[in-house]
Amino acid sequence: MKKTIQSIAIILLFTGCSTNDTEPIIHDNPELTLNIPIDFPELNSSVYNNMPTQYGVELGKKLFFDRQLSADNTISCSSCHIQESAFADHNPKAIGIEGRIGLRNAPPVQNMAFMQFYNWDGNKLQLENQPLVPIITHEEMDSSILEVIGKLESDPSYIELFNKAFQGEGITADGIYNSIAQYEYTLISSNSKYDRVKQNEGETFTTSEAQGYAVFQNKCISCHSTELFTDQSFRNIGFPINPDSEEGGRARITGLVEDYMRFRVPSLRNIEYTAPYGSFGQFETLEELLDYLDNGVLEADNLDPILKDNNNRIPLTTQEKTDLIAFMKTLSDPEFLGLED
Amino acid sequence: MKNLKKYILSAAVVVAFMSCSSDDNNPVANNVTLEFNNTFGDTPIVLGDATSSAATKNTSDAGQIHHFEEVKYVISNIRLIKADGTEIPYHVNDLDNGATVVDQSKPETLSYIMSDIPAGDYTEIKFGLGVRSDLNTLDQVSFPTFYENAGANDTQMHWEWGTGYRFTKLEGFYDTDNKQLSFHSGSTVEGEEGAYTQGVDAYRDITIVLPTTTTVGNSAPTINIKADFDYFLSGESHTVTLVSTEDITNNATPSAHTATEMMKFVENIGGNGTTDHTGMFSVTSVEN
Repeated sequence: MKKTIQSIAIILLFTGCSTNDTEPIIHDNPELTLNIPIDFPELNSSVYNNMPTQYGVELGKKLFFDRQLSADNTISCSSCHIQESAFADHNPKAIGIEGRIGLRNAPPVQNMAFMQFYNWDGNKLQLENQPLVPIITHEEMDSSILEVIGKLESDPSYIELFNKAFQGEGITADGIYNSIAQYEYTLISSNSKYDRVKQNEGETFTTSEAQGYAVFQNKCISCHSTELFTDQSFRNIGFPINPDSEEGGRARITGLVEDYMRFRVPSLRNIEYTAPYGSFGQFETLEELLDYLDNGVLEADNLDPILKDNNNRIPLTTQEKTDLIAFMKTLSDPEFLGLED
Repeated sequence: MKNLKKYILSAAVVVAFMSCSSDDNNPVANNVTLEFNNTFGDTPIVLGDATSSAATKNTSDAGQIHHFEEVKYVISNIRLIKADGTEIPYHVNDLDNGATVVDQSKPETLSYIMSDIPAGDYTEIKFGLGVRSDLNTLDQVSFPTFYENAGANDTQMHWEWGTGYRFTKLEGFYDTDNKQLSFHSGSTVEGEEGAYTQGVDAYRDITIVLPTTTTVGNSAPTINIKADFDYFLSGESHTVTLVSTEDITNNATPSAHTATEMMKFVENIGGNGTTDHTGMFSVTSVEN
C-alpha cells in the first residue's frame, strides 16, 4: 500500500514538472523476512524503520566488504569484523589504515537487531548511526562520507544497486548507513549446539558441558542473561584498565562518575571465536579471563555489587573453569561463522 | 524538480534586487564584525609550547600556573537582538554560513564578519559556544565547508566517535613542571531535544547585553568579545584543581577526555545554562 502511494506520488511529481522526463523505473525490492529465533529479546525499534530488503541487504553487504570506504582503499568493515570471528577481530585493539591502532577491541557484529545499545560504551542507540564513525575516525578508515560517495559514483554497479535498494534515489549518505545496517540486521546467530539442545532437536550436552551450564547458571547468568547471553547493562567488573586517556567507559557518554569504566556486558555467543577478550583485548584466552575473575579483580568505588559481595572475585575451581569453557563452546554457531556449508 | 528550484531561485534573486535598489544613503543592511579577544583576565593570550617564555601564564584560584599551546572553540547560532526584542538570526541553521572555528593561532579567525545584517539598533547578542544538538551530526553533505574547516589537520574539531563537532579544544601545560593539560568538549546526547535518552549536552547558549547600542546602517559596527580563559579553572561554577591521579572523583584529571570531567570546564567557560548565561564571555566595547 505504502509503495503504491509512493509510486503515485512519484508519477505525479514527474508529470507535474515537465512533459518530456523519462518514466521513472520502479524497482521491485521485496522486504526480507527476519528469522527471529525463539525467546530472543525484542527487536530494536529502529529495525522497523529500516527493514532489510533484498537489494538493501545486497548493497549493505557489498559496502561492508568494500575497501573503498577507507581513505587509502586498504580497510573495509570486514577487515576488523571477520566472519570466522563472529565478525569480530583477532587483534586486541582494532587496526585501521597505515597500521593505526584504535582505542578498543572490535566487537562482534552478531544479533545486532536485538541490541538496544551499540559499542562498548553504548554511545549509539541506532545501528544506522554507527557506520559513519569508522569511516571518519583517524585510527580507522580516516575518510569522509563525500569521499566515499565520490568513489562509489564512479562504479555503475553501485549506482544501479542504490537505485534498486532505495527507489531510484541514487548514491546517498543515508543509503550507505541504512544498507549497512540492513545487512547487519540479517547477521543472526542462533544455531549453536546450545540452541539445538534447548529445542530438543536430538542433541544433548556432554557431562562437562552440562556441569558447565550449571556453573554458568550459578555464577554468570545474572549478567550474561537472556538468549543473547548479555543483559545489555553497563558494569565495572574490575578488569585491567585501558591506559589510554580517551577511555572512560560508559562515563565518556553519560558524564556520571558511577559509570566510570563501566562497559556493556558482552554476549557470549560464539565466544570461542572472538579472542582476545575484554574492552581492549586484555585476555588472550578464556582460561586467562576466568583465572583473573577467580584470583580477584581491581577494586573500584563502582565495582559491580556481585563482585563486591564476593571479595572482589568469582571463585571457580579448576574443574568449574574447564566445564564452563566446555559449555561456552556450545554457543558456537559454525554455520554463522561460515565454517560449514 | 530541478527546474522548479531554479524558478524559485530566480524569483528570489529578482525580489532581492528590487528590495536593494533603493538609494544608498540609507542602506538596508550592513556588515557586523565579531572580534574575539582571547585573554587571561585583561592580558591577551600568547600561545607557546611547554617551555615557552613568551606564552601568557595564568595562575588559577587554586594556585596552579598554566598556559596554552592551542585555543580553539566553535561559535554558531548567532543572533542580534533589537531593543524591542526582535531577534535577527544569522544563518542559525546553516553551519557553512553561520558557524566558525575561532583559533588563536590563526588571526584571521579572530574576526568573524557577518554580512547583510538588517539596519537597526541592537542592544543584545546571543550566540552558541559549540553546535546545537540538531545540527551536531558531522553532516558533510549538508555543510561541506564547515565540515572541512573544522576537520582540517591543523584544526581537528571533529569528534569522530560522537559523530559531532568538538566545541572546544584547549591544549597546554600546568604547574611549574609543565604537566600536560588537554581539554576537549563536545556533546554525547542521543534522541530529540527535550527528551534526550542519554548523554551530556555541552552546547551553551551565551547571552550578553551590549554595553552600547550597536547601530547597523551607514556604519558597519564591530563588537569586541572577550573570552577570558581564566574562567576555565576559576569559573562561576567550579574552582578546579588539576590532578594527575586516575581517581576521577578527586576533582579534574586534565587529560581524561570523559564527560564527567568535561562538564566542569564546560560550565565554567560556557555557563551552567540556568543562572550563568555568559561563562567566560563578555563584550568589552562596540565600535559603531
